[in-house]
Amino acid sequence: MVHIVKQLMAVPGVIAAGEFAYGGDRFSYEGALTAEFARMASILCRSNTVNVNMQSEIYDSFAENSGYKPAQGWIVRGAQISVCNVGNYFAFIENRPELLNDVMAIMRAKLGDIGDDLLVSLYARIGGDVKEALY
Amino acid sequence: MDLNKLMNLPGALAAFTFTDKGDLKDHAVRDGSEIAREVLDLLAHWCVANIAIATMEARGWEALTGQKGFEPLQGFSMIGLEWSVVLASGCGVIMKNRDVNYEDAFNAVAACAAAQQMQGAA
Repeated sequence: MVHIVKQLMAVPGVIAAGEFAYGGDRFSYEGALTAEFARMASILCRSNTVNVNMQSEIYDSFAENSGYKPAQGWIVRGAQISVCNVGNYFAFIENRPELLNDVMAIMRAKLGDIGDDLLVSLYARIGGDVKEALY
Repeated sequence: MDLNKLMNLPGALAAFTFTDKGDLKDHAVRDGSEIAREVLDLLAHWCVANIAIATMEARGWEALTGQKGFEPLQGFSMIGLEWSVVLASGCGVIMKNRDVNYEDAFNAVAACAAAQQMQGAA
C-alpha cells in the first residue's frame, strides 16, 4: 500500500498524490505541491471525505443496503485539473484523455474496498464513544 | 432527451435533473434497480450542496495557492461501494462501478447541464 503514491506519480499527468491520516494529524505526499499546500490539500480531502461519508449514512437510512455505503471516495472535476480521492489517498491530475479513468482504476484496485469503520476513524478526534454515537 | 443520453451510458442505473435548490425535476430509473424517487430527491439536494462546496474549495484553492485550472468547476462524483453518482449543475447519473467510465459520465452530465441552462434561459 505504501507504493500507491509512487505508482500514481509514475503516471504522466498526475501532478501530486498523497495520503492523509483519518484522524487529521498527519499527511505525506509526492509531486508539485509545497508542504503547506499539501497540508491544506490533506485537510480539504479529509473534510470532503467526512462529508460524503455523512451523506452515505443518511442515504442508507433511506435505502438500507442499497450499495452506496460505505462511501469509497469522491472526485472533483475542474476545468483543467481534477482531484481524485479514494479512502485516505488523494491525487491531483491533469484532465488528459483517459487519465481520470486510469487513476481511479489504480486507486480502487490498489486500495480495495474501503471498510465500514471509516467514519469511526474520521470522527475519532471528536472524543467520547464515537462508535456508540454513530451506530 | 437529456435523461435518455445519460441512461445510455454503460452501467447507468438512474438519471435525474434538478433545480438550483436541489428539488427533483425529472428522472429515469433502470428497470429492476429499485431506486425510489425520494432517494433521488435526496441525492439531488446533495448534488447542489456538493457542487457549492467544491466551487468554494476550488475558488479558495486558486486564490490561496495561485494554482489555476479548477474553475469553472465541471462536476463532482460521489463513489459508493457498488455505484457512483456523477453530477454537474442540474444533472446527475448513477452508474455501476464495474461499468463506469468517469470521463464519459462527466462529459455527459456537463452537456446535460448546458442544455438545462439553455432551457432555463429560453
